[in-house]
Amino acid sequence: MKAVLKKYTLTVVSIVSIAATCLWLFGLGWTLQDQFSANEKVSQLKEKTESTSTKKQDDTLTIFALGDSLTRGTGDADGKGYTGYLTERLKEKTDQDISLFNTAIKGETSRGLLKQLQQSEIQRQAKQADVIVMTIGGNDLFQQGAALENLDTNAINGKKQIYLSNVKKIYTQLRELNPEAVIYHVGLYNPFSNMPDSKTTSSIVRDWNFQSAETAAGFDNIVYVPTFDLFQLQVENYLYTDQFHPNTEGYKLIAERVASLINFEQEEKES
Amino acid sequence: MINLVRNEMLKLLRKKRLYVIILIIAFLVPLFTYAQFKEIQDQREKLGNQDWRTTLQQEITDTQNRLSSSRIQDEWRKFLKIRLSQQQYYLENDIDPRAPGAPTFMRIFVENSIDLLLPLLVMVIVADLVSSESSGGTIKLLLTRPVKRWRILLSKYLAMLLSISFIVLSVAVLSYGISGVVFGYGGWNMPLLTGFTVSGEELLTENVHIVPQWQYILMEFGLVWYVCMIVGTLTFMLSVLLRSTAAVMGIMLASLIAGAILANMVSSWESAKYFFMVNLNLTNYVSGMATPIEGMSLGFSMSVLAVWGIAGFIIAFVTFSKRDIY
Repeated sequence: MKAVLKKYTLTVVSIVSIAATCLWLFGLGWTLQDQFSANEKVSQLKEKTESTSTKKQDDTLTIFALGDSLTRGTGDADGKGYTGYLTERLKEKTDQDISLFNTAIKGETSRGLLKQLQQSEIQRQAKQADVIVMTIGGNDLFQQGAALENLDTNAINGKKQIYLSNVKKIYTQLRELNPEAVIYHVGLYNPFSNMPDSKTTSSIVRDWNFQSAETAAGFDNIVYVPTFDLFQLQVENYLYTDQFHPNTEGYKLIAERVASLINFEQEEKES
Repeated sequence: MINLVRNEMLKLLRKKRLYVIILIIAFLVPLFTYAQFKEIQDQREKLGNQDWRTTLQQEITDTQNRLSSSRIQDEWRKFLKIRLSQQQYYLENDIDPRAPGAPTFMRIFVENSIDLLLPLLVMVIVADLVSSESSGGTIKLLLTRPVKRWRILLSKYLAMLLSISFIVLSVAVLSYGISGVVFGYGGWNMPLLTGFTVSGEELLTENVHIVPQWQYILMEFGLVWYVCMIVGTLTFMLSVLLRSTAAVMGIMLASLIAGAILANMVSSWESAKYFFMVNLNLTNYVSGMATPIEGMSLGFSMSVLAVWGIAGFIIAFVTFSKRDIY
C-alpha cells in the first residue's frame, strides 16, 4: 500500500514539476521579449479617475500644509511642528475628525513651492482642503542662515522682488484650485534678533512681512499670520539648537496663534 | 533516461526535503502576510481612511525631506531619488502599485525573496544531491551500473531542475492561497508599469509601458526560476567537487550572504559586478530600482549569471566523468 502511494506521489510531483518548468520558461521568455523589445509608450491612460477622488469629505476637516522646514517641523523634538500642535489644539475644540496632509519640504523656496504646486497630486489635495496653512520665504531670505552675513540692501531687495512675485503666483494658484478654503500664511520671525546686527535684520524681516501681508490682502480669505512678535523677546528660549528653527515651545506658540484664528462655525458653513 | 530521472526523483522524495521546504514556506507566508496587514492597518490609522494617492504623496514628501538633508549617503541618495521619480510617475499615471490583494502580495514577496530566501531553499535540496552519494558510499553502487557517468549526473541535474520548478510553484501557490485569506484573491488585472531604465541618478521613462499584474507576476516568476536554476547549478557543481555536504552548504551560504552585503556597498568597486551573487536581484530591473553598480542592466545580469551557470555545469560534468572513485 505504502509503495503504491509513493509511486502515485512521485508521478504527481513529476508531472506538476514538468508543467511548472514549462510555465516558468514561458514567463522567462516573455520577460525577455517584453524587456528587450521596443514597446509603445503609455499614453492611453491619461483619462483619470479624478471624478471620484476630488470630492471633498464632508465629515472631516482637512488641513493641507505646504511650505518649508517650519511647516515640516524641523527642530521640534517630537517632529510634529506647528501643524501637529495645531491639529491637536483643534481636536480639543471640536468633535469633527481632522486629517492633516503635510507636503512641506525642508529648504523649500518660493520658487520650489510654485513648482511643487504644478504636480497633479498636490493640486488634488489642495482642492480637497478645508484649511490651508503654509510657510514660505524663510529660505528665500535667509538661505539656511548664511546669507544675512552680508546685509547688502540691493541684493536683498532683488531677492524680495522675486519672492513677492512668486508668492503672488502661489496665492493665485491656490485660489484657483480652491476658492473656498481659508489660507493661513504663517509669517517670518527674526531668528537673529539677539545678535549684534539685530536692528538691520529685524527691519529686513519686518519689511518682508509687511510686503507679504500686502500681497495677501489682495486676495480673498488669505490671512497673513504674524509671528515676529512671538520671537521678538527671549528668542533664545524658543529656538532649536541650530539657532534658526523654532523648538517645541516655539512651534506651540505658532500653533496656538493659528488655532485661535480658525473658526469652526465658519468652516462648517462653507463646506 | 526517463527511468534514471524517475529514480532520482524518488530519492529526492524519500528524503522528504521537498515537504520540509513547503512547510518552511507555509510557515513564512502567514508571517509576512500578517506583517503587511499590520502595515496597511497602521497607515490607515495614521492618515484616516484615505485613498492611496494621499499615502503615496506623503511618502514622496517624506523622501523629499530626507533627500534635502546633506548628511545622507550618496548610495542611499541615489536609491531614494530613483524610487522617488518612480513613485511620482505612478502617481501621475494614476496607478496604485500597492493596491492590496493576494497577487500584489505574491509579487512583493517574490521580489524580496529572490536574492536570498529562495536560493537558500534551493540550496537545501541541491547541496547533497551528489555529495551525499560520495559520503555515504552509494556512489559506487550507482556507477557500477552499465550506464555512462554523464547520464547519471544528467539525471540528477534534471531531477534538480524539476524540484526547483516545484519549489517556485509552491511559493506561488502558497503565497497566493494564504495571503488571499486576508487580502482577497482579486487584482490580477491591475495595471503596473515596467520598462524603467536607470541611468546614474536619473530614471528614464521612455520605454515604460503598462502590463497587467498577472503578466508582471509571470515574468517575475520566470526570472526567479532562472536565478534559482543558476544558484542550483552552482550548488550542484560544488556538490560534485566536494564530498562533504556541510562544506557545500557553507560555501554557498557564505557567498549568497556576501552577495546581499556586497550589493549594499560595492557601488565604487566596479568589477564586482561580475560576481554572480551581486546579480541575483533580477526582478529589480523589471520594477525599475536602482542597481547596486553603475552600468548593470537586465541583459548584463542575465548574461553574467548564464556564464557562471554554464561554467558550473561544465565543471561539474567534466569532473564527474573524469574523477577516480574509490
